[in-house]
Amino acid sequence: MSAQYHPLVKRLLDGELSLAELPAELRPEGEAALRLIRSVDRAPVTLPAALDARVMATVRRHAASPVRRAWRRLTAPRDVELRLRVRPWTVWAGALAAAAVVVLLVNRAAAPSSPPRGPGTQARVGSHDSVYVRFVLFAPGARRVAVAGTFNQWDQNAALLEPAGTNGLWTTTLAVPVGQHQYAFIVDSDRWVPDPRAPAVDDGFGRRNSVVAVVAQGARTL
Amino acid sequence: MGLRDEATDGEIVRAVLAGDVERYATLVCRYRDRYARYATRMLGSRDAAEDAVQDALVRAFDHLADCREPDKFAGWLFLILRNRCFAERRRRMRVERPLELADEAFAASDRPDGELEQAERSRALTAALQHLTAEQREVFVLKHVEGLAYDEIARLTSATVASLKMRMHRAYDRLRELLQEHG
Repeated sequence: MSAQYHPLVKRLLDGELSLAELPAELRPEGEAALRLIRSVDRAPVTLPAALDARVMATVRRHAASPVRRAWRRLTAPRDVELRLRVRPWTVWAGALAAAAVVVLLVNRAAAPSSPPRGPGTQARVGSHDSVYVRFVLFAPGARRVAVAGTFNQWDQNAALLEPAGTNGLWTTTLAVPVGQHQYAFIVDSDRWVPDPRAPAVDDGFGRRNSVVAVVAQGARTL
Repeated sequence: MGLRDEATDGEIVRAVLAGDVERYATLVCRYRDRYARYATRMLGSRDAAEDAVQDALVRAFDHLADCREPDKFAGWLFLILRNRCFAERRRRMRVERPLELADEAFAASDRPDGELEQAERSRALTAALQHLTAEQREVFVLKHVEGLAYDEIARLTSATVASLKMRMHRAYDRLRELLQEHG
């Protein structure tokens, strides 16, 4: 007996063919293969409820750790001193005609001409230790563009970009707390676009996030 | 069930990020068992699965600010658990000798009496699954234990349907080989 299943039997196991669709000579092999697959143990597995207590004890300890509290202080929105100056990053074009660039505005006097939208960004406007960062995405044909990152808890509705004319550029300006942030753009609510001109890091789960460091004097990519 | 239990994953994630750590317990309760079967089949033991699920839930909390789409917390947590299972598998490969195939685990799968035959075949298959590669075992578990379609598995794992089918078909052949050798 061959150690390999016939390709049609594999399709049977995949659910693409029925037993009746197999040639007669393959049906015994198909029946045996189906018996094997049907013997898979699908019984639910219940873990002990004590696991909940162990997890929660650990997360409470982590939440109370000095390092975590310091990080929360660093990233929490505060009241403001504005220092704005423009430092543009260039625009890129991708295979799908989407491109992104972040322009950093660090200027002592002016507030952004187009205030950021959304409750998350408004809450940060005018905070100390925040720097205005202008996000620009080249996405011709897009119907909706947003930017989400660690500065707005990855809320893809908190910071919408607006079309800048009809050339495919979308833009918004956000007050971003001093610190290192990861971010990405969301086009039409479902396509995540990292900024290729900024360094990107693997988020540990198979996707790439762009990284920007915001310091009191401005912002820079790492 | 209280209102808190009915909150969406996204609402709970945002509340936790805003400082309400205790609400994370709802997510723990919600997903503890949901992924336990996957972890058990991937790691071959309930104890190892319990450790993996616990670690994944703690790691998810530690990295919650990196969860891009809080409303898709379930899928994000699955990826953390999946990485944890693969890492555990790699660790075992480094520190342990490959498991010897236990003949008794594979034996008697052709006995004629219905329920016993089924139980023994199931035991043999469970044992054989541990001798697949982690990638082959994962696609087998997700399709034939969790009941997902190839396109759903592709979305979860970021693999293509074609590559998933290739892994699965190799898994079928490897299982047949194992069960013939020890049957």
